[in-house]
Amino acid sequence: MTAHIRPVCAVWVGMVCLVFCSRLSGMKAASICGNAQAECHFLSLANLFDRVIQHSARMHGISNDLHSEFELYFLPSKNQVSRVGRNCHTSNILTPNGKENAQRIEREELTEVIMKLLAAWRDPLWHFHQSVARNHRFNGYGSNKSLEMSDMAHELRKGVQKVVEKMQTLGVISNSVGGLASPEALLAADGSGWRFMKDSDLLYCFRRDSNKIQNYLKILKCRIVPEHGC
Amino acid sequence: MKRRLGLAVLLMLSAALRCRSASPPGKPVLIGCRSPEKETFTCWWEPGFNGGLPTRHRLFYEKEGSEEVHECPDYWSAGKNSCFFGKEQTSIWVEYSLTVVAFNALGNTSSDLFKIDDVMKIVKPYTPENVTVLVNDTANTPYLCVSWNHPPKVDTKSGWTTIKYELRVQKEDNKPEIFHPNKKNSFKVYNVDPGATYTVDMRCQLDQSSWSEWSTASVVKIPNYFQNEKPFWILVSIFSVIPLLATICIVVLKRKFVKQWLLPPVPGPKIRGVDVQLLKSGRAEDVINALIGNQNFPPAAAWMDQTEEYLLVSDSNDWLLTDPYISQKKKSLVIPAGVQLEIQCRTSAPAQSDCENAEVGKDGKVEPDHLAQTKESVLNVAAPSVSSGSKEAASGNAAGPTGYVGIQQHKGTQGAGPNAAQWDYSWVKEVNGETIFILKNEDAAAGWTVPGWEENTAADYSRVKEVNGDDVVLLQKHDSADSSCKKKEDRSAEWTNQKAKSRHGSDCGKGACLQIAGNGYVDSVPRFYVE
Repeated sequence: MTAHIRPVCAVWVGMVCLVFCSRLSGMKAASICGNAQAECHFLSLANLFDRVIQHSARMHGISNDLHSEFELYFLPSKNQVSRVGRNCHTSNILTPNGKENAQRIEREELTEVIMKLLAAWRDPLWHFHQSVARNHRFNGYGSNKSLEMSDMAHELRKGVQKVVEKMQTLGVISNSVGGLASPEALLAADGSGWRFMKDSDLLYCFRRDSNKIQNYLKILKCRIVPEHGC
Repeated sequence: MKRRLGLAVLLMLSAALRCRSASPPGKPVLIGCRSPEKETFTCWWEPGFNGGLPTRHRLFYEKEGSEEVHECPDYWSAGKNSCFFGKEQTSIWVEYSLTVVAFNALGNTSSDLFKIDDVMKIVKPYTPENVTVLVNDTANTPYLCVSWNHPPKVDTKSGWTTIKYELRVQKEDNKPEIFHPNKKNSFKVYNVDPGATYTVDMRCQLDQSSWSEWSTASVVKIPNYFQNEKPFWILVSIFSVIPLLATICIVVLKRKFVKQWLLPPVPGPKIRGVDVQLLKSGRAEDVINALIGNQNFPPAAAWMDQTEEYLLVSDSNDWLLTDPYISQKKKSLVIPAGVQLEIQCRTSAPAQSDCENAEVGKDGKVEPDHLAQTKESVLNVAAPSVSSGSKEAASGNAAGPTGYVGIQQHKGTQGAGPNAAQWDYSWVKEVNGETIFILKNEDAAAGWTVPGWEENTAADYSRVKEVNGDDVVLLQKHDSADSSCKKKEDRSAEWTNQKAKSRHGSDCGKGACLQIAGNGYVDSVPRFYVE
């Protein structure tokens, strides 16, 4: 009797594992709602938006902290002259600078702007973190923050892609967004303009752009799913 | 002429003075800018000295990324010395560079460059509107219900701004409490105390911008509920105190009863038929009767077998002869130690040699035997120790007080009972076989004196007065020193009182009356009696 228990247990555990794994993989593909209800789909889209917006808010907070710290330690005297030359590498991306402008443009365009911005910052942030870690310019706090910032930008980009996919499946936006050539290709021409940016300018520019991303995401959500907390 | 010259000089001087006071305007200073809703903003400046001439101020600005210089679109909407930038002119995430220039007839003066990094940085909303506080007192748990509206002109619906509120509640003079409501328009404050005064105000924030000013405070007072309930509680306390006091009074006044009820006393031991009170206060006789009365002692018949007839020894033949009854009997006596014995012996015939002699044997047994010619036929035969003592006495030794015998001296009186006779004690001189020789008094007196026996023994020993019947010996308390009858009687009476009731009281004559068990000497305490 006892001799049979062990193999029986192993088989049982194996079966349980199989069931779970199949379930998990199934969960990746299938949505919570299933195929039926539209309300449920929109609810899940609103949830996705909320998560993404929260993520972007956190990213902006980190960038704000880093910029303040940088100004405190490395630029004690405000040098207004040097600001004249400030030029962010994302300046060529046309972004709506006001509420009306943001509400006037198309959803797809707004979504594209977001995607472009996020794509434009992936490499510079990573580079920045590498230089900070290598040169020990910031204290430990700054080094951690730069890595976190870089990771968060990366994850936010993936999250926004998910939202876009969801919107496209729901028919909220046209499929032209995903059909564009990848933002990386667009920026490839600009190339490595960001490599010559100063760290202070980089931090300043990213702080502004992360705020833009957060705002655009909020506007997009309230345009697409306004009844869920706008 | 001179007047005209003076006037001209005066005019020229005044003109010259006026010309010197005029100057180009002083330098204006830009104070600050503020955007209340992230869509427009306003900037203010402080003009300098106007130079005595009418001065005009103009604001010029440049936006980031363009060299074009723009002038302020609106100088009047926001008041004097201000510039209002409308929605079209406002661009967020764009850097502004501002300059104010003062113009007058003599020149112009520019202020320092004022840079706005980002309009987001100058955002400061207005205070929340219509902050109202209501006190809700349902279910005896009061709470404050605070309601408000968003500040004017703020667009919260399009997602352009995310507004955050802060609520401040201060109880009287304590430290204020800060709350962050999640809802847009209302909030409930629960931890409020009845009867206290609270001050409530609010402020708000747009997208991590600067906080607005605090709104106008609302002061509320929460009604005190315990006051309404006070009379109720007073009544309750009164009605509960009265029974409590009554209970205490009862317990105190009847504490004995309560104590008895709570801790009943343990009953003491009880013997059937015996009264405890009698034992406590009664006389000895009653006590003994009570204790013994219920019990059935085995009859003292055993003793009867052992006791023998009393022997009365008297030295008067006549007296002896009056009672022929006893002479028939011939019994042996058992004499317990320390007891005097009077043996009466009788003979049937006067002619016969008198009475029987009482001979004290070695073992104490006295056997009546014929008396010899001696006339002293009354013998008080002592106890076995006495017998040895008497023998010794007979041998001439000085014996103790126990060696004497009591002799009834009948000096020629016939038939006279022993009542009238004088008892006297004499020493046994010699016991010779069947004969006991008794010393005369004078001999005794001359021979020796036993120290201390006169006074001691007189009261200790009792003389047999009369033998009645088979087993009754009447004793008389003997006092050799005192010959008065009265005293004897007194003494005997006294002696009688000490005794318990005698069983054969009817036979008692004058004087003492006692039962003895078969020996002539009687102690003052009867040991037993014979039926």
